[in-house]
Amino acid sequence: MKLHSIAYVLLALFVAFVLEHFQLPEVIDWFQPAWVMLVVTAAVLAAPSVFGLWLAIPLGLMLDVEKNTLLGLHVILVVMHIYLLQLLYRRMYLFNVLQQSAVLFLMVLAEQIIHYWAMAVMREDMMPVMLLAPALTSAVLWPWMYVLVYRSLQRMESA
Amino acid sequence: MWVDNQYSWLESVRYGVGYLIAPARQTAVVPLSIAEWMSENATLRRELLKENKILAARNLVLERKAQRMASLEAENMSLRELLSASDQVDDKVLVTSVTAVDPDPYTQQIIIDKGGRDGVFVGQPVLDAYGLLGQVIDVLPFSARVLMIADSNHAVPVQVNRNGVRAIATGTGALNELELIYVPNTADIKVGDMLVSSGLGERYPKGYPVATVSSIRNTPGESFATVKAEPTAKLDRSRHLLLVFTDEAGRVPPEQLWRNEG
Repeated sequence: MKLHSIAYVLLALFVAFVLEHFQLPEVIDWFQPAWVMLVVTAAVLAAPSVFGLWLAIPLGLMLDVEKNTLLGLHVILVVMHIYLLQLLYRRMYLFNVLQQSAVLFLMVLAEQIIHYWAMAVMREDMMPVMLLAPALTSAVLWPWMYVLVYRSLQRMESA
Repeated sequence: MWVDNQYSWLESVRYGVGYLIAPARQTAVVPLSIAEWMSENATLRRELLKENKILAARNLVLERKAQRMASLEAENMSLRELLSASDQVDDKVLVTSVTAVDPDPYTQQIIIDKGGRDGVFVGQPVLDAYGLLGQVIDVLPFSARVLMIADSNHAVPVQVNRNGVRAIATGTGALNELELIYVPNTADIKVGDMLVSSGLGERYPKGYPVATVSSIRNTPGESFATVKAEPTAKLDRSRHLLLVFTDEAGRVPPEQLWRNEG
């Protein structure tokens, strides 16, 4: 892994955190994609030996503070995400982008459900939720992320 | 949060990680500041003059009120001395602006641009120009998170300004509606009554406007009336807020008073 590709991943993560903080208009509130998870996916696919489970602790803690959730909840979610990717990445290479999107959809959905469970345990009131929405937008955005992060990383490594 | 409450060292972890995400947060605000700068600089001279006139007139009115206020406060203080009650001094405030509204649709929270570096503390009351807005629930080095009074997990002790009837105003999750809970059917509350903070929870200072009663429904057979009120603070519009520093603000009542046994 070259130094400038690591810098590129850091930059992408930074942008992802900026986007994570952006607020959407109220109508599409629910459709906030999981930006950081998308970048993590691209990074792990590009260099599975570098971006392992260790990444989960800093990123998870930062997400927890950003979203003001239970400290450690997002660590678990990121661990789950990276673990699944580490299991699946050889298969993911054979998939086309649409199939990868579908896998990502399921992964983000699973994380949403776990997030919702934790919230339901912590809070008394149960509110209507749209668990599908962030998973859907994340999956829709994956092809762009694939080109922007994954492909550029590949090009940097081979150059 | 339960774990955060049990292990207080986690609070410092949270605070430290706050330094890490601060750059991303500040970058996220850049478009907003640019838009604000543009609209400030692209205003017509004519409009500025007009606004200036309006503000000058308003300032005059407020000045007049402030003059009366000084004498009234002095009078109030001497009356309180007669009653041998503790005197209420003007609160110290810090002006802050809203940098973000929490995208999380479950809660009504906003993020402000002052943090632990400026002396903000958990439990600090936040006001806008029109009334009580909420309280600080999480402090990071350069920002803080404010839980608004309209959040469904929030309640504030209030009293009717007209006659001092006490009640508790809870959030409903909708920004324009609070609900008074445990109000007896016979309580003297009317539509249009101003509700001010009673200071009984020892978290909010006393006497700030909270809401105006918008509807009352007495259901025969129910023990409590359903009273709805509209917050006086502009929860969804205010951009500049005041953080209040008072002695009584933010004090948490002794644990045995609020923790459920078993």
